[in-house]
Amino acid sequence: MTLKLSSLTLAALLGSTTLAAAECADPVKVGVLHSLSGTMAISETTLKDTMLMLVEKQNAAGGVLGCQIEAVVVDPASDWPLFAEKARELLTVSDVDVIFGNWTSVSRKSVLPVIEELNGLLFYPVQYEGEESSRNVFYTGAAPNQQAIPAVDYFLEELGVEKFALLGTDYVYPRTTNNILEQYLQDKGIAKEDIFVNYTPFGHSDWATIVGDVVALGADGKQVGVVSTINGDANIGFYKELAAADISADDIPVVAFSVGEEELSGLDTSNLVGHLAAWNYFMSADTPANAEFIAEWKAFAGEDRVTNDPMEAHYIGFNMWINAVEAAGTTDVDAVRTAMYGQEFPNLTGGTAVMLPNHHLAKPVLIGEITADGQFDIVSQTSEVPGDAWTDFLPASAVLTSDWKDLGCGMYNTETKTCVQLTSNY
Amino acid sequence: MRYVQHRNQDLRTADVQLLTGLRRAATFAALRIPLYSESFSMRLLFSALVFCLLSVAGAQAQDLQRILQTHASEISDPSRSSVGVALDDMIAAGLPQTADFLEQWSDKNVWQRTDGVFFIAREQGDDLALRDVDTGAASSAPQAEFTQLKPNGGVRRVIGTALVQFQLSDPDLERRTTAVASIARRPEAEQLQPLLASISKETDPALRARKIQLANFLSASFAEAPQDRITAIESLSEDTSVEARAVLNQILRVEQGVVEAAPEGNIARILDPSESPDAAYAQLVSASLAPAPTTPAMIRAALENNIIGGRVGDVPVAELDTDIGRARAYGALVLAGLMPPLVTSESRDEMLSRYTFYERYLETDAAITDAAEEALASVEARVGWAQTIDLALDGLSLASIYFLAAIGLAITFGVMGVINMAHGEFIMMGAYTGYVVQQFIPDYTLSLVVALPLAFAITFVAGVLMERLVIRHLYHRPLETLLATFGISIALQQLAKNIFGTQARPLTSPAWLDGALVYSDVIQISYIRIAIFVLALIFLALILFVFKRTRLGLEVRAVTQNPGMAASMGINPDRINMLTFGFGSGIAGIAGVAIGLYAKVTSEMGADYIVQSFMTVVVGGVGNVWGTLAGASLIGFLQKGIEWLNPSNTLAAQTYMILFIILFIQFRPKGIVALKGRAAAD
Repeated sequence: MTLKLSSLTLAALLGSTTLAAAECADPVKVGVLHSLSGTMAISETTLKDTMLMLVEKQNAAGGVLGCQIEAVVVDPASDWPLFAEKARELLTVSDVDVIFGNWTSVSRKSVLPVIEELNGLLFYPVQYEGEESSRNVFYTGAAPNQQAIPAVDYFLEELGVEKFALLGTDYVYPRTTNNILEQYLQDKGIAKEDIFVNYTPFGHSDWATIVGDVVALGADGKQVGVVSTINGDANIGFYKELAAADISADDIPVVAFSVGEEELSGLDTSNLVGHLAAWNYFMSADTPANAEFIAEWKAFAGEDRVTNDPMEAHYIGFNMWINAVEAAGTTDVDAVRTAMYGQEFPNLTGGTAVMLPNHHLAKPVLIGEITADGQFDIVSQTSEVPGDAWTDFLPASAVLTSDWKDLGCGMYNTETKTCVQLTSNY
Repeated sequence: MRYVQHRNQDLRTADVQLLTGLRRAATFAALRIPLYSESFSMRLLFSALVFCLLSVAGAQAQDLQRILQTHASEISDPSRSSVGVALDDMIAAGLPQTADFLEQWSDKNVWQRTDGVFFIAREQGDDLALRDVDTGAASSAPQAEFTQLKPNGGVRRVIGTALVQFQLSDPDLERRTTAVASIARRPEAEQLQPLLASISKETDPALRARKIQLANFLSASFAEAPQDRITAIESLSEDTSVEARAVLNQILRVEQGVVEAAPEGNIARILDPSESPDAAYAQLVSASLAPAPTTPAMIRAALENNIIGGRVGDVPVAELDTDIGRARAYGALVLAGLMPPLVTSESRDEMLSRYTFYERYLETDAAITDAAEEALASVEARVGWAQTIDLALDGLSLASIYFLAAIGLAITFGVMGVINMAHGEFIMMGAYTGYVVQQFIPDYTLSLVVALPLAFAITFVAGVLMERLVIRHLYHRPLETLLATFGISIALQQLAKNIFGTQARPLTSPAWLDGALVYSDVIQISYIRIAIFVLALIFLALILFVFKRTRLGLEVRAVTQNPGMAASMGINPDRINMLTFGFGSGIAGIAGVAIGLYAKVTSEMGADYIVQSFMTVVVGGVGNVWGTLAGASLIGFLQKGIEWLNPSNTLAAQTYMILFIILFIQFRPKGIVALKGRAAAD
């Protein structure tokens, strides 16, 4: 009798597991498109590890739609045309349902034609220059009004900066951001002669002349401040030269938009104390959600790894995508997209992130000062600011708005009441 | 600003005279009433007053916390503009514990309990070791009840200025230095007097010289008597520091103005409006002296509003599609008195000619501005010279880096005619050797001493291996050699990525190489660049010695000129080629350690230097060390010169340089120092 009962239960168990496996005829694949080598590896490798951790955690909680998730990792090697090829490979050969990736705007611009042609879905976690709202991209990083503009306001009001040095790497993000900032500063009354702009190539290491030029800006007695959009490992040489020239943050404050805990972890920051960065998240944010995230991350990747803002963006983006897929009941891109609008998920700084119809999030603006151990002291924190894809400070963009939910257009001209175009500018 | 060491630390006579004069002026201004009077009643009144003040001070000894609570919101969440009120109150109370509290607040050691009370605290695990702000009583409490106050950079600067008066005469040297640095960042008129008072008591000679320099700056801007200010300004005419120039430029600040008659006040210069008539007219408009210029939109709006019966004026609407038609219609409106006259460029110029545009100094005393102008002119001349010297130093440093990177390539290319595309990877190998050595030997100086010969040895062996295994079989086939070495370079890069990972690895220089040699604010060069320059000189000497004075060098030169003849003289060209290749690679390895110290160590760092190395070798000419030296100098100085001409785009410098090299090669295909002789014909 007992033998029959036990064999019956065994059969039932086996049957139920095969039933569960049979549900998942279409495995869920998540593409990870981050540079693991080259000049941007210093920033992007940790995002690949973050995605692997999130996928593992979600699989332990049962996956999505009853299926386990498989992460497909490729290395575009900081080579922008290779980003486009790898995106095409992910969508056509590996058949992924969503891509989490990119850092530099030039890599994103390279990928845009591919995902718009193949109707893929990209979650882009990094702060960028705006002037874009693609149907196939969800921007979980900051737009200029969530990072660059508030940082410059902080410089003007709190630090009394009167002369600005805008230093950037030579590609679309720093050039566009500096265009916006130059216009914004002139609207605020800073004279054109008081704005010094400089662009350097990726990986530049000879900073002595440029740092000397910045110091010489102070010769007319005005307070000088540096707004740095330098990306990748060129930052190492820049901060080393600042330290060698003994430029303290009390004399010439530097606020960086692309330097976070990860970039500082390879540097000796004792000479950089007091310099600033503007993000929407810092590892030192004191909330229970953040403490839990950091503990999980250290258990997954190692005790001396750090967290940063793009990691939080992936955390929010991935969880929103999971919720949207569950709500839509499928991983089909158009259904998931519709389910994404209005998605809410708690962020790691104590607030809630909301996905807006222009594909941007509402994010709080945090300004932090570097401490001697490579962390940031948060000196300013706002409540959630909705992201604005088309900046109000350039006349050509001020008339544009993006609303994929109601207007069905990412580049809608509010004056002529027409949709300018459905694809993005590459 | 950095605390700049003056070359001449001694007090100059002029400074002494200036100081005594200023101090006399300051004390006279301060002491307006005599403290002691002969009259008995005055003394009684005075002592009564003192007694009252003392008792009041005693009663208020506990009250810093009370003042803090009054301004609780400004202290717990301060902003640069609002914190001044709280600071003024704290200082006006004159309590002895204020200075310490302000210092602790600036260092982020002040914590606020949930009930609003402020404490000075230090973290001890999960608890805080607390200290009462007034009594200094110690206690302890868990951290959860407290929030740390973290004033931002702007607020810290304001606190620093407030602390100056306490810290200028503090017995601790570091506090006095901090106070002096605060004054340098935010000079204010009220600081001149306390600064002068503290100079005579200053014991540290370097700090004393700095205080005198600052006193000069403050007197130039804020002293009361004009002659004192002029003396101070004249003493600034030899100071090329950024601060001195800042002081002079602040004195010479101008405001723009426009007036109908002759302008009054201390005029800097009269502007010519015809240089930018639109901007000048806009100035008139904003001063309400002229009507706003009429835009086409305004004309169109005016016409739209005045359509009567299908006509505007006497012009039918259908004719309003041309500028002439619209101008005629608008003219009709003007005649009818409905619209103000059109502002054309003639009327604008006529308006501009009626007014005088000028720039006026904010400083009213003409003698002071004249002195400041003179001083500034002399300073700018010196600064111009200093900048030239600094640019030359930068160029020299860049040339030495390129020389180090390229000399190995020049030797192998010169002797064997082999194009080694893997040369950059030998540099990278040397850098990674340095990194590995630093992992095992924590002392940075010793690790460098070990790393340099080790890098030479490793890359020498690697070079010999590459020559034996690959290049030997591809002699007289330059294209295949190019391709093979390119493939090896990619393989080496990937090998480095697999072993060391993709992140940049730190190669830290020892402490005595940190910082920079500072001559003045304009001329400075970091010690590590000086070290690289010295290393390049050592290599130059070493290579010259090896080539000119050793047997090996003789054999190498023979094989370079004519391998066939050299072979028939008993020299084994294969062995020489192998040793030369190894030697060239070894030098690249040592260059790698040097470059890794000043730049970054990644698997791609070789690619940064291969192009520059080839440019140096091509421009300089092969087979001769002096050629490489000439090429490196030309490229280094040219790059710095182009960067100076175009400071906003560093990439442009490299582009122009490649263009220059292409042109240069047309005229001198063999490079600057070309080999002569029959065998050098190829």
